[in-house]
Amino acid sequence: MITAVQKPIDEIREMIAPYKKILVLGCASCVAECAAGGEKETAMLASTLRMAAKMNGEEVGFTEMTLDRQCVKEFYIRLDDVIDQYDAVLSLACGAGVQAVADMFQDVPIIPALNTEFLGETKDQGLWVENCLGCGDCMLYYFGGVCPLARCSKQLLNGPCGGSMDGKCEVNPEIDCAWQLIIDRLSKIGALERLEKIYPPKDWSKKQGGGPRKIVREDQQK
Amino acid sequence: MTNKRETTLGLFYCQNVPVSSEQERQNLELKYGQRIRLFPIPCSGRLEPLHLLRALEEFADMAYVITCPEGACRYFEGNYRARKRVQRTQAIISSIGLEVDRVGIIVGSKDAPKALGELVDDILKRTSGLGPSPVHKKV
Repeated sequence: MITAVQKPIDEIREMIAPYKKILVLGCASCVAECAAGGEKETAMLASTLRMAAKMNGEEVGFTEMTLDRQCVKEFYIRLDDVIDQYDAVLSLACGAGVQAVADMFQDVPIIPALNTEFLGETKDQGLWVENCLGCGDCMLYYFGGVCPLARCSKQLLNGPCGGSMDGKCEVNPEIDCAWQLIIDRLSKIGALERLEKIYPPKDWSKKQGGGPRKIVREDQQK
Repeated sequence: MTNKRETTLGLFYCQNVPVSSEQERQNLELKYGQRIRLFPIPCSGRLEPLHLLRALEEFADMAYVITCPEGACRYFEGNYRARKRVQRTQAIISSIGLEVDRVGIIVGSKDAPKALGELVDDILKRTSGLGPSPVHKKV
């Protein structure tokens, strides 16, 4: 999923300062899972902003709404009936959601309330970790399901580097050494020989070499 | 002549706090009138930052939670979670310039348990210096 964290309240207040009627718009998908932009966080942010406005004698109206997804037209089209009532939308979606809504409703400022972070996993309650760079050419098979590009601090495709100690990374001892994990996993499934190959430098052209990427599936289209 | 408004305490409390029956809640609300609004909850772990924020936004000058003693939660970790949520709420209100003491937590004592009424008195004393919240000032 896509992870995000809320921007500092001062930054949000600065961005919304010119507007008097603001729709605080949550997204009930990835950012709800990472407790940054779901219905609950949307209500908390709206409540906080209302209090800040009252304390500063500002007459601003904040209305809350949460869409199932802000990045899918079938969901954000619901705004069509209400968006005219607002001067601006404060979106608690990831960058993709903010842009999707902004592309659709170009006459209304769509303001991001979150900083989008990374593709990751909910490792534990309140803990999210990065584990995918979206490189466009997945190599997890060769590395036992551990991505050295996302999880090795040095992004080594032919590791380990020699700085690993007790299974921890020399860059930060709180980080598990990805190469220790790779070797342990491949050993467990009897596939250590996959590391006998020398892997060439990553071909990043499949990530952003051709500009913004898109996926076209004609079987899914009208 | 002074026209100082009395403050209102929004108080969420675990129903396992001693002497916290519905009758006791009504007695306390009669005793203190507008100064307190009491919200019994089945476990302090049910409390969310949003409850405290909404209380501060809507009516309360202070919003507190009373939990059962640490290690005594019948759901094991409710009071532990409540403490973290109070800390999160304090960080939020601090970010907009509200005093952090407007939100707080009272953890009951295992060795010297106090009745709900005594704890209410303690909180009212502890927060007496804060005065009305700037959130409710007249524009």
